[in-house]
Order: sequence, then C-alpha cells, then structure tokens
Amino acid sequence: MSSKSVSRYEELDAGRALGDLSPEEVTEWEALAQEGAMDQTIDFDLLATELELNHTEDCALSSSLVTRLEDTIPAFSATIKANQSATGQIISILPWLGWAAAACLVVFFNLPTDDVTQDVSAELAQAKAELSNKEKTITDLESAKQELAKLNKKLKGELASESGKIDDLNTQIAKLTEKLPLLQKFESLIQDESETQRLEFASASDPYNGLSGEVIWNDEKQEGYMSLENLAVNDPTKNQYQLWIVDPERDELPVDGGVFDITQNDGKQIIPIRNALAINKPVAFVITLEQPGGVVKSKQEIVVALAKS
Amino acid sequence: MPPTENLGQSRTLLLPRIAKGDEEAMRKCIDAYGPLVWSIVCRRIDQRTEAEETCQDIFTEIWKFADRFDSKVSKESTFIGMIARRRSIDWQRKQSRLLTLSTLDGLPEKVTSSSFSMGSIDRADLWEALRKLPEDTLELFSLHFEKGMSHDEISKHTDIPVGTVKTKLRRGLIEARKLVREFSDLKGADK
Repeated sequence: MSSKSVSRYEELDAGRALGDLSPEEVTEWEALAQEGAMDQTIDFDLLATELELNHTEDCALSSSLVTRLEDTIPAFSATIKANQSATGQIISILPWLGWAAAACLVVFFNLPTDDVTQDVSAELAQAKAELSNKEKTITDLESAKQELAKLNKKLKGELASESGKIDDLNTQIAKLTEKLPLLQKFESLIQDESETQRLEFASASDPYNGLSGEVIWNDEKQEGYMSLENLAVNDPTKNQYQLWIVDPERDELPVDGGVFDITQNDGKQIIPIRNALAINKPVAFVITLEQPGGVVKSKQEIVVALAKS
Repeated sequence: MPPTENLGQSRTLLLPRIAKGDEEAMRKCIDAYGPLVWSIVCRRIDQRTEAEETCQDIFTEIWKFADRFDSKVSKESTFIGMIARRRSIDWQRKQSRLLTLSTLDGLPEKVTSSSFSMGSIDRADLWEALRKLPEDTLELFSLHFEKGMSHDEISKHTDIPVGTVKTKLRRGLIEARKLVREFSDLKGADK
C-alpha cells in the first residue's frame, strides 16, 4: 500500500474516532483497511477519550438506573462463566489426549506376545485410532470456527455497506419528495403551451460556465419557474442569488424576481419566480449574485446567467 | 473520573475480574465508573430515556469486552470512557441516519498497540506532551473536547469552514498521537 493510502487511512481512522465520517468515508475506510490489511488499533479512540475526560465532570447515576444496571449482572456473570467453562473443557482435553496417546504407545510397545495379550493389543490399537480421530475432529472444529469467524466478518462488512446504500437511497428519496410539488407545478405550467414562454439560460461569466437550465413564464397566470443545473451552492450568510425580469413595457429597469439560494448541487433545482410587480411581456431574465436579502437595484457586478428571447 | 486513578493505575483493576465473571467487581464498576459513563452520555444525549438505555448498552459492552482491556495500553477509566464515548457517538450517528461504528466487534481480540502506550503515562504528563501542538489545534480541541461543540458549531464560532474544522481536528489527533508516541519512547529510554 502506498504512503498516500496509509496517510489517508490514518486521517479516516482519526475521523472514525471523532465520529465525523460520512457514509462514503466509512466505505473508503473499510476498503483501505481491507486492501492494506491495516492494523486496527484504538489509538485515536483512546486519545480522543483522554482529551474529553480531562474536561468531564462526573454526574451521579439515579438510583433506579443503578438498580437496572445491577439487575443485569447475574445473567452476564453466568454467560461469562459458561463461555469460560466451554473454552476450558476444550483446552483441558488437549494435554490429556497427548498423555493418553503416549500411554497407549508405551503399553503397545511393551506388550507380551502371547495369544491372551493380543486381544488387549488390538483394543489398545483401536483406542489409539479413536483418540487420533478425536484429535482430528478437534482440529476440524477449530478450523471450522476460524472459517465461521471469517465469514461473520465478511457478512458484517457487506451488511454495513448495504445499510449505507439504503441510507443514501432514503436520502435521495427524501430530496426528490421535497422537490416533487414544485416539479409538478413546473410541468403543469409547461403544458399550457399557448400562454407559457420558455427561454434557455446561458452562463454570463467564467465561474458559472457549467450552468444550464431554462425559465418558463406565463403572463396570464403571473406564474413562472426556473429550472437550473450546476449552479454553485451559495452561503446565504454571505450572498444570495437574485432574479431580475426585463419587461420594457413596464419599466426601463429590470424588475425584482425574488431572492433564492442553492443549497445542494445534485441535479435539477426548480425555483419559483417571486415577482413583486405584475409582468406583461418579459424579454429577458437575469440572475445576479447579491448581498444577503437581495438589493432593490442591482449594480450587476456579478451576473450569473441570462435568458433572453 | 474515579479520583484514585487520576495518576497512574493506583486502584485495583476491576476489568480483569469482570472478565472472569466476578459479580462483585461488576457492582464496584457501576459504582466507580457509572458517574463517568453517565456524564459522557449526557454530553451527547439530552433525552433521559434514550440516555439511560444507552448507559445500559454501555455497561453491557463493558462486561462483554472486559477481557480486551490491557493496562499497558490504557487506564481502566480511559478504556471504559472510550466505550461510553463510542456508544454515545453511535447514538448520535443513528439520529443523523449515518453508519454506526461503535462496537469493538471489528477490532482485534486483544486490543494492543506496539507503538502506543498510554497506560503508564500520567494524565499531567500527557497534557504536557500535547502542549506542543499548534495553538489553533489546541483551540479547536478545547472547543470540541472541552466545550463539546459540534463541527458546525465550531465553524460558526470561529468563522472557519466546516470542512477545514473537520480536517484540522483529524490532523490534530494524528499529530497528538505522534507526540504521545515520542513522549512514551522518551520515557521508556529514561527507564
């Protein structure tokens, strides 16, 4: 694994300890861990805990919670002891098997050669074979246990990955559901072909070159929408987009079409036009970037996009 | 944190006894570390029922993973605090519909690290080592770990973009680990 991957893994592992990994980063962290067979340590968890503990003041538990916690003790203690007992039984049989096999061999090689002892010899040989079979069974069980542990780890990884995909899909569905009512209004206005005007947006300056979309407007309904793609997300505390409608029949100056934000850049965004004044025959629509809240009259210092007939 | 454990590992360790199913040690563990666990949980979860359920999950995990505690790697309170912290973060991530990563199931049977050993370092010495971190990192650490601010809150408070806060905290943690390793090596060499 390259030093770049190692350093990336380290950064993601620190993020894991801080609890700030995004779903994509979780997948990346898991892939890097598997790809490079990274040692999974708890260094960052311990450090983060130490940093937090230094400023944590103890808060007493309620007596009811203490009682609930103490109620779980007997069951857990019994489980731990049962597990240890099961492990102990397997461990304790192993040295015994060795001694038993050795004893069989000693007896086998010191047997008298008369007929009576031949039966005993045969029985001992059979016991030795049985012991050997049991040893093999234990070895098989151990390797089956290891296989199961590997399978378990793999399945856990797959489950986490699938769960991440489901979460992503749910997020997408939620976003689409949010957009749906506007999309329906947009489509409905387009259906009204005779009255609805459609103009394509073109980017007006360098940083907005990738922008595409259109604006639709219906004079009779005084209703319109913009459909925009690849318009950069803005920080509403610093600036906001504002639409201007050029309607020469009404005024020489463009009319305010409303302030809006782009909060996510994933696909088509439908933005309703909020014209403060009635519009008659618009010939152009202009998007500018303005101070938060918009302006009454734009200096058009940052013109983002233009759509004109 | 339990007062007797503040410097070094002076208290009798409970986790090795718990790993053997010692019920008395489990009771003492609730008594000694319950307040620490509860304070960590309450920093992140403000709903009492949820906080109590998480607290129960944490003690379940402490019983389950007691055998993974290694006094050379960490102090007992740090190990227990770590489980509490991870479980609480897990709860927060579930609320945000993010993948959870809290349990120790994915970690090795015995959690050790050849190059990292905080078990023998006093807390005062640890902080002495961390003072070498850049001022801005210490400031972010203070906001995050001391005041319990989220990345978003830190971003608003400091006017630093949230992505930068995230990166700086992660890199700060990496740098902190390096400093602790160096300090640990130095201490080893002195002996």
